Amino acid sequence: MSGLTLTEKIMAKQSGRDSVRPGELVWADVNSIMTMDYLGKSTFNIFDSLGAKELFDRDKVICVSDHLVPPPTEAFANLLNEWRAIVKAHNITYFYDFGKQGIAHQIMVEDGHVLPGTVSIGTDSHANSYGAVGAVGNAVSVTDAAVAMATGKCWFRVPETVKFHVTGKWQPWVMGKDLSLHIMNMMHWNGDLIYKALEYDGPAMTDLSMGGRISLCNMTVDLGAKNGIVAPDEKTQAYLNGVAKGEWEMVFSDSNAEYEAEYEIDITNVGPVVAKPDNLDDVVNVEKVVGTKLNQIFIGTCTNGRVEDFGIAAAILEGKQVHPDINMLMVPASQTQYLEAMEKGYVSTLVKAGVAIGTSGCAPCFGTHRGVAGDGDVVLSAGNRNMKGRMGSKSAEIYLTSPAVCAASALTGTIADPRDLPMPKNFGVTYGE
Amino acid sequence: MANNLKGTVWKAEGYVFAYDIIKQEFWTSALDKEENSKWVMGGVHPDFDQENGFKSNGYSFIVAGHNFAGGGKSIEHVITGLMGAGIKAVIAESFSRLQFRNAINYGLPFITCKGIEAIASTGDELEVDPISGQIKNLSTGKEIQAAPVAPFVAEVAEAGGLISYIQNIIKEGKVDELR
Ligand code: SF4
Repeated sequence: MSGLTLTEKIMAKQSGRDSVRPGELVWADVNSIMTMDYLGKSTFNIFDSLGAKELFDRDKVICVSDHLVPPPTEAFANLLNEWRAIVKAHNITYFYDFGKQGIAHQIMVEDGHVLPGTVSIGTDSHANSYGAVGAVGNAVSVTDAAVAMATGKCWFRVPETVKFHVTGKWQPWVMGKDLSLHIMNMMHWNGDLIYKALEYDGPAMTDLSMGGRISLCNMTVDLGAKNGIVAPDEKTQAYLNGVAKGEWEMVFSDSNAEYEAEYEIDITNVGPVVAKPDNLDDVVNVEKVVGTKLNQIFIGTCTNGRVEDFGIAAAILEGKQVHPDINMLMVPASQTQYLEAMEKGYVSTLVKAGVAIGTSGCAPCFGTHRGVAGDGDVVLSAGNRNMKGRMGSKSAEIYLTSPAVCAASALTGTIADPRDLPMPKNFGVTYGE
Repeated sequence: MANNLKGTVWKAEGYVFAYDIIKQEFWTSALDKEENSKWVMGGVHPDFDQENGFKSNGYSFIVAGHNFAGGGKSIEHVITGLMGAGIKAVIAESFSRLQFRNAINYGLPFITCKGIEAIASTGDELEVDPISGQIKNLSTGKEIQAAPVAPFVAEVAEAGGLISYIQNIIKEGKVDELR
């Protein structure tokens, strides 16, 4: 009998079976359930209707304010107040409200609510990010989340697994985001990865930072995949040491696991890339769009709002100035990331360079919060979606890329290739090793 | 859930987006099976773009290719509309995962079946057993094996959807038995 892929193994373990096969439906124990300000109220309302006396585990239902904080409108302020009242009424242990806020997915991972070898779910599509620590992370509807809050379980269809074996050496300035977009270009958002589990392995994955792994797994949802996962290693252990909420074990795929497809990528050949406006998979090497005139640059979101992203931008902008035609906004993914970026001196470097720093959270990523795009704006963003209207005006154009390309472009006011810059003295603070 | 569903099939000629199953103008409507069924599939074919345009054909099954109901929309109107129009099961090469979950949570079998497109045409009579995954084309005599649906999908359907199913499980104190 053939072995199990990492996702299959976790699903089998969490559903009390020796084995599962793709296509099967199982009820799996969930380690944690995330819900947030935007959908949390409906989730708790459904939970209340189920007749459960209490939550399956009040330490495992993680509540976060991210989309609406700080409230930009009266309507959002009211929704936030209702949300707070609901969370308090349910006596939730971990409530990351304004002041302790951050993008839910970032908090789930950085604060150890996601444990390797387990399944965690959230009421937002980028819950796929949890795969960065070797867990199955999945986005579910409010109904599914409510059911899990009552039962500790969620049903899943076991997906087929597609493996990406990534070898070679990361080139300077190339980040996890570039690999994400490179795969988007290879596979397309509505292509062969629909409903699949994506397993990333190989030496280049071992070299990739935890932040880079989060970027990579985060965007697997935009590929249509069910989840993305990187096997845990020493980096994962070091990352979770002291923050993990509970015991966990390393789970790996079997050596004779059966994959639906396997792809090889040599990261040595991957350079900085850019997704052109409107289509996630219209990805080109940065050289092809160098010189494109911009007026807004945004680094942030659950994809690229971490310390390493601030670090690479600070390395590029140190002692320099953002081009006068550019409004540049950077928003940390969480208060923890903000504090660390501040303590490392990145924030002061960036502010001196003329970057505006926003309050931790989703910010303009989904187009309703501060920093949205106006008519005809041309935005270079380190976020994850570039469809028309995503960041505000339908006539704004959104190019997606890595924080390195964003920061290099801030100097010229046009899309620029970071590889043309002299290697900064403080390089190496960022990603990879 | 009946184990031998019978009826005629409508086969999609190309990619079916959630957006076309329920056009954007109906996204905010109530989740009413009857109401949503009047306009379901309106964006898929001009013939269906009128009141009861799809429903009046009396199809029981939809056969489709990859990523049925994709496009990243989680709107549950897609499912209630299809159910209201008399659809007993959708059989496709693959499904968008958001709608796959919604379908099961509402009790509509979404059956994954490699090769189904090759053995069914619009108007064919099918016999479908979601539990075993056996699909027979009664018009041509061809048979195909699909992925069987877990028994709980049938139980959810019987209970009238996931919410009432879980309400029962909790009432009976059987949460630990969910597997
Ligand atoms: S940062 Fe953007 S993509 Fe991430 S959770 Fe917030 S709105 Fe969604």
